[in-house]
Amino acid sequence: MKKRLRQVFTWLMFLSVFVTCWNLTTTKTQAKTYQIGTDVTYPPFEFANDQNQYVGIDIDLLKAIAKEEGFQVHIKPVGFNAAVQSVQSGQLDGIIAGTTITKERQAKFDFGTPYFKTGVVMAVGKNSAITNLKQLKNKKVALKTGTAAASYANSIKDKYGFKTVTFDDSNSMYQDVKTGNSVACFEDQPVMQYAINQGMDLKIVTKAANTGWYGFGVKKGTNPELIQKFNAGFRKIKQNGTYNKIINKYLGTKQNPAVKGKTFTIGTDVTFPPFEFADKQNKYVGIDIELMQSIAKDQGFKVKIKPLGFNASVQGLQSGQIEGMIAGTSITKDRQKVLDFSEPYFTSGVVMATSDKGDVHNLSQLHGKKVAIKTGTAGAQYANSIKKKYGFKTVTFDDSNNMYQDVLTGNSVACFEDQPVMRYAIKKGTNLKIVTKPALKAPYGFAVKKGENKALLSAFNNGLKDVKANGTYDDIKAKYLGTKKDNNAAVSSNDQDDRSFMGLLKQNKDALLSGFGQTMWLTLVAIFFATIFGILVGLMGVVPIKFCNWLSSTLIYVFRGMPLLVLALFIYTGIPSLTGQKIPAFIAGIITLTCNEGAYIAAFVKGGIEAVDSGQMEAARSLGLPFGKAMRKVILPQGIRIMIPSFINQFIITLKDTSILSIIGILELTQTGKIIIARNLEGFKVWTIIALIYLIVITLLTWLSNWVQRRIKG
Amino acid sequence: MSARIKVTDLVKTYGNNEVLKGVDLNVNNNEVVVIIGPSGSGKSTLLRTLNKLEAPTSGSIVVDGVDIADKSVDINKVRENIGMVFQHFNLFNNLSVGDNITLAPLQLGKKDKSAAVQQAQKLLETVGLADKIDQPVNSLSGGQKQRVAIARALAMEPDIMLFDEPTSALDPEMVGDVLQVMKNLASQGMTMIVVTHEMGFAKEVADRVVFVDEGKVQEQGTPEQIFNQPKNARLRDFLNKVLNI
Repeated sequence: MKKRLRQVFTWLMFLSVFVTCWNLTTTKTQAKTYQIGTDVTYPPFEFANDQNQYVGIDIDLLKAIAKEEGFQVHIKPVGFNAAVQSVQSGQLDGIIAGTTITKERQAKFDFGTPYFKTGVVMAVGKNSAITNLKQLKNKKVALKTGTAAASYANSIKDKYGFKTVTFDDSNSMYQDVKTGNSVACFEDQPVMQYAINQGMDLKIVTKAANTGWYGFGVKKGTNPELIQKFNAGFRKIKQNGTYNKIINKYLGTKQNPAVKGKTFTIGTDVTFPPFEFADKQNKYVGIDIELMQSIAKDQGFKVKIKPLGFNASVQGLQSGQIEGMIAGTSITKDRQKVLDFSEPYFTSGVVMATSDKGDVHNLSQLHGKKVAIKTGTAGAQYANSIKKKYGFKTVTFDDSNNMYQDVLTGNSVACFEDQPVMRYAIKKGTNLKIVTKPALKAPYGFAVKKGENKALLSAFNNGLKDVKANGTYDDIKAKYLGTKKDNNAAVSSNDQDDRSFMGLLKQNKDALLSGFGQTMWLTLVAIFFATIFGILVGLMGVVPIKFCNWLSSTLIYVFRGMPLLVLALFIYTGIPSLTGQKIPAFIAGIITLTCNEGAYIAAFVKGGIEAVDSGQMEAARSLGLPFGKAMRKVILPQGIRIMIPSFINQFIITLKDTSILSIIGILELTQTGKIIIARNLEGFKVWTIIALIYLIVITLLTWLSNWVQRRIKG
Repeated sequence: MSARIKVTDLVKTYGNNEVLKGVDLNVNNNEVVVIIGPSGSGKSTLLRTLNKLEAPTSGSIVVDGVDIADKSVDINKVRENIGMVFQHFNLFNNLSVGDNITLAPLQLGKKDKSAAVQQAQKLLETVGLADKIDQPVNSLSGGQKQRVAIARALAMEPDIMLFDEPTSALDPEMVGDVLQVMKNLASQGMTMIVVTHEMGFAKEVADRVVFVDEGKVQEQGTPEQIFNQPKNARLRDFLNKVLNI
């Protein structure tokens, strides 16, 4: 054996010298070729395909990295143990063979960046009722010899009281479960998932246990430049999406043609960091947003995310304005009556946080102390429910920031907050620490209207599996909830922000401008239609036809009598429920303003016409002029003069009323302000800026109106 | 000589208030009829039903053989031929003197622009206001306004004219000019129905005087008969009041 190895070694040396020389003589810049060992067959990481070419996640990854970094690899499927030994003996430069990074191995190998997270899962027959380990009692379970999954199963078999049957290869193990001999099998998660994707009639029912990371290894202390190249290339293919493509190629669920290429409108909350909030560039980011986008990408559909606010999103779903909603929505029984939820994608819960220098670390230490809570949160609800039991007092705040401050200054000893929110605040630099495990656990789900958009829901579930498998899910979570140490550039703190008026203006210039533009556009379009509607309805009030008079009075009564807010919600969510047709928010906003402002205009148009002396109409009619001509030539010119001040007044009111349309998610000036404040909490300054913008425009409008009135009188 | 206007059993009520209680009245061609009576007697209402500014409650009003109480009748056509002058002039405040006069002929396609302006100028000359054509109506005195109003009515070339207390809102020194214009019209053979308190005008110009009270025609006849031999007690009472001030 040793002799043979040496022989191989000598041959290899000879070959490599030959190849090097040959390379030097042909192209001097030819990159180095590394010899990499891998397993013979370990699908989906390495296996021979139909054309007997070696493919798999490991192979494709390494090739992609080599291409990025401009080096050559020669991959040799020598088998796992042979590869390990060859690397140690220096015959091979590296090993990529689904190698789990362990302490023992780290003593002999240097590993590159972990490239895949794995773990042991339990799979059962497709129609099996078994969903957890407890149900295995006295049942038979199939295992494959020598796998991590088998050792895991053996470690828990006494605890759960099941028996094991061992097979030499995966296929026989799967068959044993399919025929019902065994009720379940244990297998590495990616291997199991790949088999299922290939058509095996099994399903995974547990979360990955004994999780570990696969790494690319070289002999300890050698080839540091290869590890560096691997790491650099890995970073690149992760960023440019090649990594996800490779993972999805082998482990991705099949994209559903029912959703592929389609665009779905997804509602979300206006601001619920770290799940959804506008960043400094006023772009929506957060766990929900990024998760939704990566799932959409994985499943081949597109999403349009609309920060409508939580309640408006629920209503939007009901009325069919939006297809789905992802807004940190807890899955509750009440909500399940009207919504269909995906698999939970996040589990939230209430945690207690104290000053990071404090010594309070459990609830019983709170006796006789003060605790800070925020109104209306699950945290407050939880604190109130246990305050008697633990004998603490509560101080209530309206926003998170003040609550944290109260703890930091020592007024209160602790605060209660949703776990992700708290973690995010700590990540952003709040000097608090979480001291309890989450209570009142609440799983968050993606929701669609009950009984509808089933394809979207199942695509979400499939995509969630995929992004969990390829690590995107963990990356997103780490980005927003990671500890301070692994704070990366994506979420930077606010420290260097200029918080003066000018600074805030400068930072939010684009957002404010576009909000202002939207406000003006809404105002102009609404005034245009409201004026037409108002004049028509006003005229209907004065024509000598009883039915028209009645209709006019009724329209004025209804639209003037309804609060603008209610009207907006009714049109935006009510009309689609009745007709089944979506209304874009902007159109709904225009209809709302047209009806409401139009009703006021109608009232003063009618009033203005009636204010013209009735003798004018009589004189015109006595000459034989028909009603319409008399109205146009004699009455209206005089009535309009009376109406002009009211018109100007109404235009100013319309401009201000557009702010109410923020309720249906139109990104006008007020909504823009809300979003900016949600991010930087500079309420006073930002509202001052917004108020000034409104005042400036209204001042200009008033000047204009005075000028118009002077001209008309003159 | 047939009746241009024939009113038969005309009733007009406003809610429970019966203003006209069955009026019969004929007006012949070229005749000047003056309607007198105390305030609230219904004489203005009677006049205003003749061009349907007030719709009759019942009864018939036949103008040139057409019953204007009938809903299928195009009242605008009928009105083109019946001019009306109001107590408060009702000039169009948004238009100049000239435009007041030309509005109806132009809008109804009776004349083109230049012919209408020419006619307006001529009419203003006949009412003694030749230099006012471009003035805004608010710059005129009451008497001038009423003369413009007469010119405006005449611009449609009607052959019946209704006058609804044309001088009641005028300062006394303005009354003469307006009455002069009306006398001129009468002398040209215009069929006129005039509601007025100007007894002098009635005596001098009227072919027939009609006394209306309590929603009915109480008595009618020549000025001579009405003013010198009144039979009706109410008429005597009324004349006593208005003539012996």
